[in-house]
Amino acid sequence: MMRNPILTRTAALAGALLLAGCTAGSSGTSASKGDGDKVTLTFLTFETPNLDAKYWDAAIDRASAKVPGVTIKKLVSPSADRTGYAKQLDSTGQFPDVMIGLNPAGFAEAGKLSPWTDKELATYGNPRANTYDGKVYQLPYAAQTTLVYYNKKDFAAAGIDTPPQTYRELLDDSAKLKKKGINPFVVGGGGKDSWADMFPLICTVATDVYKKTPDWLSQRAKGKVKFTDPAFVAAAQKVAGLADKGYIDRAGLSRSYADTEQAFRDGKGAMYPMGSWFSASADTKKPDFDTGVFAWPTDQGAPALPGVLGGGMTVSSKASDVPLAKKWAKAFMEDQKNLDAAVKADGLIIDIKGYSPPSTMGPVYKKTVAAYRQAQKDDGIVNSFSQETGDGSLPPGLADKAAAGVQNLLGGRMTARQFGAYMDEQWDKATR
Amino acid sequence: MRIRTLTRPDGSAAAPEAKDTAAVRPQHTPARRSSRPSRRFRPNGGPGRFALFAAPGLLAYLALVLVPIGMTAGYSLTNKNPFNPPTRWVGLSNLTSLFSDDDFLKALQNTVVITVIVTLVTNAGGLAIALLLDRRGWLYNALRSVFFVPVVLSAVVVSVIWQAILVDDGLLNSMLRQLGVSHPPGWLSDPSLALYTVSWVIAWQGLGFCVVIYLAGLQGIPQELHEAAAIDGCGPLMRFRHVTWPMLAPAVTINTVMSLIGGFKAYDQIQVLTNGGPGPGTTSTLAFQVIQTAFNGNHVGYASAMAVAMLILVATVSVIALGWLQKREVSA
Repeated sequence: MMRNPILTRTAALAGALLLAGCTAGSSGTSASKGDGDKVTLTFLTFETPNLDAKYWDAAIDRASAKVPGVTIKKLVSPSADRTGYAKQLDSTGQFPDVMIGLNPAGFAEAGKLSPWTDKELATYGNPRANTYDGKVYQLPYAAQTTLVYYNKKDFAAAGIDTPPQTYRELLDDSAKLKKKGINPFVVGGGGKDSWADMFPLICTVATDVYKKTPDWLSQRAKGKVKFTDPAFVAAAQKVAGLADKGYIDRAGLSRSYADTEQAFRDGKGAMYPMGSWFSASADTKKPDFDTGVFAWPTDQGAPALPGVLGGGMTVSSKASDVPLAKKWAKAFMEDQKNLDAAVKADGLIIDIKGYSPPSTMGPVYKKTVAAYRQAQKDDGIVNSFSQETGDGSLPPGLADKAAAGVQNLLGGRMTARQFGAYMDEQWDKATR
Repeated sequence: MRIRTLTRPDGSAAAPEAKDTAAVRPQHTPARRSSRPSRRFRPNGGPGRFALFAAPGLLAYLALVLVPIGMTAGYSLTNKNPFNPPTRWVGLSNLTSLFSDDDFLKALQNTVVITVIVTLVTNAGGLAIALLLDRRGWLYNALRSVFFVPVVLSAVVVSVIWQAILVDDGLLNSMLRQLGVSHPPGWLSDPSLALYTVSWVIAWQGLGFCVVIYLAGLQGIPQELHEAAAIDGCGPLMRFRHVTWPMLAPAVTINTVMSLIGGFKAYDQIQVLTNGGPGPGTTSTLAFQVIQTAFNGNHVGYASAMAVAMLILVATVSVIALGWLQKREVSA
């Protein structure tokens, strides 16, 4: 034991300094040129139950085989929040050279990303889907949407023949299910996966806000609308109302994303509002019931399907060899086998000219794509709240704040109006 | 502690043990000088040698701790946001804004609650377990290892394990349902419980460290003191109060200060178990708030001000606690 008080206090102070010491970064790039024009590029990716390490390693190998001279050093985000991880890497001077699925907001405006040219985007079906001040920073290679996946066995048990077409019918069906002792909705979002609680709100904002005002978020940025306006409050109220009526299982809110998916598989609820990536999982690891799909209904039945188009590669403007990094990123993104693997693993709806998904895709995926294509045909695709990219997107950090607020909304600890006020307050903080 | 002397049956004090040993040392034993450390390794080799030995550690401390702290302090005086240049000098406005920032104040409040719980649980629990394990035998040796295991596990691993136990349809609630509890508590989903649940997990992980320190303290207490107290008629409680507890004062100092620091730096468990929720900031701590503000909200300057405030707070609490506990050691 230390008996010298000065020495011990100094040691305690040093310990405290060690504890509170924060690292600070310097600018730089992690790419390096080696001998013989060999270039090592860092590639930031993420892993999920659908997209595991094996999937990424195989895809990296296929792309690298097409671009000689490139060696890829894979970086895996510690959680699904690869954008947050990219910020950490950036602040310590380790911003990756190539990234997939990064939200370009902030990085794009700060000049940290290299824009894609029209020529480079020529093969993409909707090349200008997400622009920042007229420039495209992320390859818009695939669409994702949010639908309601449902347990056909539960619906049949409750005497429901067809999925609901209007919001009134959705409420009626929920009441029938509950009466039969079946939990209507499975919703999760515990721990670091708080984003998973957003899907009911993503759907109601699509039907009640974005359907009527597609550029609502851009208007919010200009101060023309607020989250406390009746349209947004009505959307939030629908979610709160579902929880108040006991249609959303509040007990599931502490579940992680993986556990939430498993809960639906295990029959712990009849409906599962989730991203279209679930379709791949529903087909490959089929539950012991048939899975149906429907779009969250509007009041009148007109289509309003939340969609995101993007998710592809971004390239750092500081990469040591930007042209080569872009070449590798495009090789990765446009490789037929990689696209097929992405479709099979993550249920992506590829938006590259001439691409067709493998004919072996399962029925849930096919129904998902059909719902998306139908909504496209009916001009029913709208933005996906909290997942927007491009000029009209949420300020950095606000999506996580929204997810935390939804926990209170679902838990009955916040009214829809209070949730709107909370979002306005958080918006002001984020843009201060 | 004073040097003990042994009392002979006739009442005269025996010579110190060292002298007894010297008395029986064979006469042909080599001179003591030969067993001294060589000149090369003498600790008092002058300031140059001291600097030579201290330099690597000092350089590492300077580069990895002091310089980043200095940079953080510098950033705290700016509006630094890597995505919104240029960075401007804002003086102390970041620090003063903290006092009216509800998110920061909530995080501060949560941190204090966690710290108090962790300090109390680890010390009380650690001492109780150490007292139970302070005996010989293979079972006790094995149990000591069992209690130390959580200390060597990563906080993330511990959190993932506890998450599986504590979620609403997890292991604990399944057991409670089996026992007939129809609506078991939402350990992580109920805002009135989540902070205490997270505190418990942090305390559980730190418990093993306290057990080891208290065990070391207990085993350092001379058996003669207990025997003397017993001869004087002290029961187990009196012996604990008048012998064990005072003699454990240094262990209490270490455990309390380490628990305080452990509570203040709580981050990993929050990130994995609750992500600051359920709801906005319910279990957010200072460390969690710093990371969120810097890397999620991009407000590096403001987050640096939070880190500086945290540094001042931790240093102040640590030094005060240490000073107070060390006074207690002297008086004990």
